[in-house]
Amino acid sequence: MKFIKNIFATVLLCCLCGGAFAQEQEQEQYQDYFKVTAKADTTRIRIGEPVKVNLTAKVMLYALKGANIKVIFPNIPDSANHIEIVERSQLDTTGTDENQKIWRQAVTFTSFDSGRWELPPMKFEVYSVTDGSYDSVFTDPIFIDVSTVAVDTTKAFKPIKPLRVVKFNWLDYWFYFLGGFLLITLIVLYFTMWRNRKKAPKPIAVVPAKPPFELALEALAKLEKEQPWQTDVKGYYTELTGVLRTYFEQQFNIPALEQTTAELMNDIKPVTILNQQRNEIYSILSLADLAKFAKLQPTPQEHEDTLRKAVAVVEWTRASAMPKTELPVNGTNQ
Amino acid sequence: MENTSNDIRQINEKIHQASSFVDLLNMEINKVIVGQKYMVERLMIGLLAQGHVLLEGVPGLAKTLSIKSLSSAIDARFSRIQFTPDLLPADVVGTMIYNQQRNEFMVRKGPIFANFILADEINRAPAKVQSALLEAMQEKQVTIGDTTFKLEEPFLVLATQNPIEQEGTYTLPEAQVDRFMLKVVIGYPTKEEERHIIRQNLAPEGQAKISPVVRPEEILAARKLVRQVYMDEKIEQYILDVVFATRNPEDYKLAKLKPLIAYGGSPRASINLALASKAYAFMKRRGYVIPEDVRSVCFDVMRHRVGLTYEAEAENVTSENILSEILNAVEVP
Repeated sequence: MKFIKNIFATVLLCCLCGGAFAQEQEQEQYQDYFKVTAKADTTRIRIGEPVKVNLTAKVMLYALKGANIKVIFPNIPDSANHIEIVERSQLDTTGTDENQKIWRQAVTFTSFDSGRWELPPMKFEVYSVTDGSYDSVFTDPIFIDVSTVAVDTTKAFKPIKPLRVVKFNWLDYWFYFLGGFLLITLIVLYFTMWRNRKKAPKPIAVVPAKPPFELALEALAKLEKEQPWQTDVKGYYTELTGVLRTYFEQQFNIPALEQTTAELMNDIKPVTILNQQRNEIYSILSLADLAKFAKLQPTPQEHEDTLRKAVAVVEWTRASAMPKTELPVNGTNQ
Repeated sequence: MENTSNDIRQINEKIHQASSFVDLLNMEINKVIVGQKYMVERLMIGLLAQGHVLLEGVPGLAKTLSIKSLSSAIDARFSRIQFTPDLLPADVVGTMIYNQQRNEFMVRKGPIFANFILADEINRAPAKVQSALLEAMQEKQVTIGDTTFKLEEPFLVLATQNPIEQEGTYTLPEAQVDRFMLKVVIGYPTKEEERHIIRQNLAPEGQAKISPVVRPEEILAARKLVRQVYMDEKIEQYILDVVFATRNPEDYKLAKLKPLIAYGGSPRASINLALASKAYAFMKRRGYVIPEDVRSVCFDVMRHRVGLTYEAEAENVTSENILSEILNAVEVP
């Protein structure tokens, strides 16, 4: 009986102890639901070298029982205690799963003063949006030893090194060469196009079906037949000079239709065959001008004489109108 | 009324006699003016056709001397107005001044009351002075206070512009430039002419004196005759073609000129081209106009009446280039 009692007492004690242990373990677990760490990649640097500190905050979700929480990272000043922040990364939440939520941030520090400097404990806060509860945890302090560049004071001072000339390498400038080449190409293209645009299109020479002298002689023959001076003297002289001017234009490339008598007389000077007839031509044109612009009434004899002179001029210059193939060429007939 | 061939013959004879003074005038002016025949001829055209002349040329080309000699040879009054930025309209046309003795305002006539006016460097004065002069040129009368005064005939204004210095100038607006019948661009004399000028200016006996050889009444009579010079309808058509080609070049197979012309010649251009052609024919002692007359005066009548676009200016195309193209394309009657 006593033995049974002892067993019962032992079992009861074990149960009580087990329960208390489980409760304690559970409490411990609840207390560790929010963990923060700050780990530096190095604690010894030379002046100006970076120290990357990884800040991590981990929340165990089972302890929250569905509560909505927010984690507030420490507000580190840009510069404090001889330590300066160089860069802060964005918050990273990779590693989060259904059991835990993790936030990570990398902060790069540096220092420009030699010595041992403390990065003080950083305060992380967790805030429950659901019930308004609030908790905070601190990281451990980090000590960073910043050393200067070691100088061998036993040696003499050395002068500043001279400038070192970098060897020229075409490949370093390929972009500029390419740009220059393209620019020159564009300029050349532009000017070529501009010049082409400025050039007046060459007038296409209209080759009459018949030689100009033949057309002129036909027109003069028609005038002789119709005798328009009987009714319209001005019209007759306009027609007559028109035939001659058209002939000069087509046959000798003199823009006679757009020229006055004086200009035309000047332009026929270089054309020998025409220049030989200059007196005849001048008398025709000047009489025609008087009839056209000064209401002169030439005599019937003058009408016919003028027409005859015009025919003679065309006949005289006919030789120049013959196709070149018909002209004897030196050496071919020998 | 239509002219018959007999009428034209009579006009021709009349003009042959009446225009003899042109040679006299030329001879007298040539006593002091060496070279610059072109300018003197244009001055005469302006004088005979009742048109004013705008001269463009660098200083020292005998512009003042030419018009002074012309006025001396015609026995007419000459005055010169140097246009400056502070010139006032009253300095040109005249003003009312208070007479303390008489206790009243009196008219003091300005230098515009002369037969020949040299408006030197017209573009140096502000617009209000330019317009006062140009209004007087157009209306041939001036109003001072409540009184309007007719300007004495012959009345010829010769305005000058310096083509080089454009800074601080007031460019004449197109509407006002149009009031000048001729815009003459004059150049330097030849080497031989300049040698002659030096000798003439350094001669111990001094410069020759101009004597009056023509009376103003003769000029007024000649002006009437100029208007009687016969102009055939073919010549009228030619003038119209030239002026219209400046407005619608595409109608004359000159479409390439269209983007270069901002505006073409006005109807005043046609009138002045016809009048100047008649005056030129008169000077050549002819009673009728021939196409040569039109072409001779065309550049001077038209060059300031053809507006250029920015494109033309960018391509260094001048109004002379455009007119040359037009004259080479429009068929001569």
